[in-house]
Amino acid sequence: MRSSLLLACALALGGCATMSPPQPWERGDLAKPSMQFDADKLEARTQQHIYASKEVTTGGYGVGGGGCGCN
Amino acid sequence: MAATSRKALREPRASAANPNAPNGSTPAGALLAAALALPGMLPGNAGAQAAPDQGVIQLQYLNYRDWQPGQARMKVETPSLYALYPVSDTLVVEGGLTYDAVTGASPYYYNTLSGASIGDYRTAGDVKVTKYFGAYAVSVSGVISSEQDYLSRGGAIAVQLFSDDRNRTWTFQAGGSADLINPVNDVVVNAKRDTLEFMIGVTQNLSPTQIIQSNVTYSTGHGYYSDPYKSLDQRPNHRNVTAWLTRYNQYFTAYDGTMKLGYRLLFDSFGSVSNMLDAAWVQGLPMGWSIAPALRYYTQSAAKFYVNPPFPSGYPGEEGLYTADTRLAAFGAWTGGVTIAKVFERGWSMSLRADFYRQQPNWRVGGSGSPGIESFSARWLEVGVAKTF
Repeated sequence: MRSSLLLACALALGGCATMSPPQPWERGDLAKPSMQFDADKLEARTQQHIYASKEVTTGGYGVGGGGCGCN
Repeated sequence: MAATSRKALREPRASAANPNAPNGSTPAGALLAAALALPGMLPGNAGAQAAPDQGVIQLQYLNYRDWQPGQARMKVETPSLYALYPVSDTLVVEGGLTYDAVTGASPYYYNTLSGASIGDYRTAGDVKVTKYFGAYAVSVSGVISSEQDYLSRGGAIAVQLFSDDRNRTWTFQAGGSADLINPVNDVVVNAKRDTLEFMIGVTQNLSPTQIIQSNVTYSTGHGYYSDPYKSLDQRPNHRNVTAWLTRYNQYFTAYDGTMKLGYRLLFDSFGSVSNMLDAAWVQGLPMGWSIAPALRYYTQSAAKFYVNPPFPSGYPGEEGLYTADTRLAAFGAWTGGVTIAKVFERGWSMSLRADFYRQQPNWRVGGSGSPGIESFSARWLEVGVAKTF
């Protein structure tokens, strides 16, 4: 567990170390639908609801979603 | 508002991800921009830095089935509706409705009424209002979910802070829910479960083709967590969960393809620790088509009061807490899925997604899985249609 945490930190820091934020005129590819997180809200919500009902817990994607009897 | 000021406001809007993209360049792009705008109770993207200028209405239908070896289990049919309406250049209202119809039999040892026939429904609705103030935005949201034996009401507030260069967004969220549990067998009456949740997140454009997002959420709850339909199920009356989620997207221009990676580490005070990795590749195709295969791997350790079957013969009787719910067991799970989407003229788009899920104790990584439980499989299909206006 500790090793996975360190690996994730290393990856995150590695990404930041090579960061070169784009100028406004360089963001064309970042605007593509495929580059968005949770572009399809209904689909994202459905996926998380399914996993929440089949696994011990879920979380990390936002707060205030309320509970349900499924878990 | 005058057309000139509308245009002026659209520019920073586009700059959230792409200041040079034509407004509403594609229906999918417009839908996306709308969908990105609001964090909170719905999955959010901290990268959206101004109000969307187009409304969206989306319908989705889910068909879900699960089974264990030799035995079909639960079926779920779920129609859902989502709509977003920009009231002005700086004010957006969005909301959704969902109806779940559940039939079938629950898996062995899995949850309520093991092996018994189940027929239930859930109706849920949510609404969110977001106001943009230039360098920051504030959202307020509410949600209600009702089942035959479970009522949940929740709310949240979220603040987004945008960096001067519009390459970074900080997100702060706080929310809570008040749940009321009234099982049909009257084991408890008006049992409560109250939860507070907090999140801090950052989204950063790393380069013209790379973006990363990292969120930490913490929830703390107290109340009734036991399964009222099991005679031998006694869980703690409080629960704290800490989750760290990091997601990374990279676009490969030469292939018109996008790699999407995610990792989540989660600690649950019930004693379980879970790791989740997911990956997807979105391949653009001619004539507005796209295809996106995806893989997800998940592994969890058992809750400290989980008891392996046969139950109750294995009941340890420690601290008066015990459960045989296999969702709290140690196992690993794989999901494979694919999404096919098409963007049409005049703001229409549609998508079809299929997923296959399987969990087995011996797929756990980082330790052995819980013995004596059956594998569990599920598949679900989602079809959706959306229209921007």
